[in-house]
Amino acid sequence: MAASRAAASCRAWAARPGRLFWRGLCSQEPDRETHFGFQTVSESEKGEKVYQVFENVAKKYDLMNDSMSLGVHRVWKDILLRHMNPYPGTQLLDVAGGTGDIAFRFLNSVRSHREHQVRQKLRSHQNLSWQEITKLYQEEEQQSLGGSHVVVCDINTEMLKVGKQKAQHLGYSEGLSWVVGNAEELPFNDNNFDIYTIAFGIRNVTHIDQALQEAYRVLKPGGRFLCLEFSHVNNSIISSLYDLYSFQVIPVLGEVIAGDWKAYQYLVESIRRFPAQEEFKEMIEDAGFLKVHYQNLSSGIVAIHSGFKL
Amino acid sequence: MLPHGLLRLSACVPLWRKGSRALFSKAAGNGGQQEPKPPFDASLLQILVCPLSKKPLRYEESTNELINEELGIAYPITDGIPNMIPQAARMIGKDKQEGEPEQT
Repeated sequence: MAASRAAASCRAWAARPGRLFWRGLCSQEPDRETHFGFQTVSESEKGEKVYQVFENVAKKYDLMNDSMSLGVHRVWKDILLRHMNPYPGTQLLDVAGGTGDIAFRFLNSVRSHREHQVRQKLRSHQNLSWQEITKLYQEEEQQSLGGSHVVVCDINTEMLKVGKQKAQHLGYSEGLSWVVGNAEELPFNDNNFDIYTIAFGIRNVTHIDQALQEAYRVLKPGGRFLCLEFSHVNNSIISSLYDLYSFQVIPVLGEVIAGDWKAYQYLVESIRRFPAQEEFKEMIEDAGFLKVHYQNLSSGIVAIHSGFKL
Repeated sequence: MLPHGLLRLSACVPLWRKGSRALFSKAAGNGGQQEPKPPFDASLLQILVCPLSKKPLRYEESTNELINEELGIAYPITDGIPNMIPQAARMIGKDKQEGEPEQT
């Protein structure tokens, strides 16, 4: 009782200016406990621990993804993009986007879509002079993305730095922005984005319901929420094989490749702690999304949840 | 012939030294002034708001920060990436004293 009263007064103070100081004070109040993998930690600790995990593995993140999933994670992300099917002009917010996998795929998809559009436009014109054709191609070069834009938001600066370097290396220069931000408190206006994606990130968020509410807030009406996340396997044989692989092989790979056993121990434990498909679907519906569906990939190892803000 | 040549050479050397000194100092001056700062994408300002108050921010070029006047906090920008985590922000008091930045 006293704790809730303290929390309420804390929240009232937090609304005043000088909020940062009070927020610091508030976090010292006995806060609720949550899980960090199979450990039980306080909520404030979880955020910090998650940050450290990704800070340590940032440079080897992509390499580890390929090794652990034997490259299958690329297929999962491609399928997510196929679900998304973005058209030129889309504003995408990729939360927990870290090293930019989804963002780059989005840009590729939009670019090829745009080229297809331009080609169709050219085909529809019967008699064009060479000058008109060159003008059309010049236009295409200037707007090769057709106004599409992706904002990559992540709580971890290290992951974003790796992503930015990757972008420069791969030659993605336009239509891309990088922001350090918390999924539970997004630094964006309401009704801003057409699509919100979070790939393999939401299980690391301390308050998933808050992240879902923020997702609802920043999406435009008609906007789509897409979540790609590890989920629960329905088949018992595959489940036992998957468990064996997860707990015996993955942390070892983590130690050998990234030099961090604990980070990958956390990874496999956090997957087990994340709610199952149906439960997560209900959480998404609670945030206000409609037409919520999910699709299992690889027998439920991974699931894509989708919802609309209508 | 030779003494003349030597004289000419000796006359030239100070000039050359002066010239090179001028060159070096110019280079040093440039090196001191040119601090490579990755440019901040101003178009982000249209989308970004303060995560706490959801109000628009002002870009301060001198300190390379995004400032929320109302709450008196400044979000740092590192490598062109704005850090919009409240704990990383700096408080700007009315007397412009730096508050303690709480880092995660």
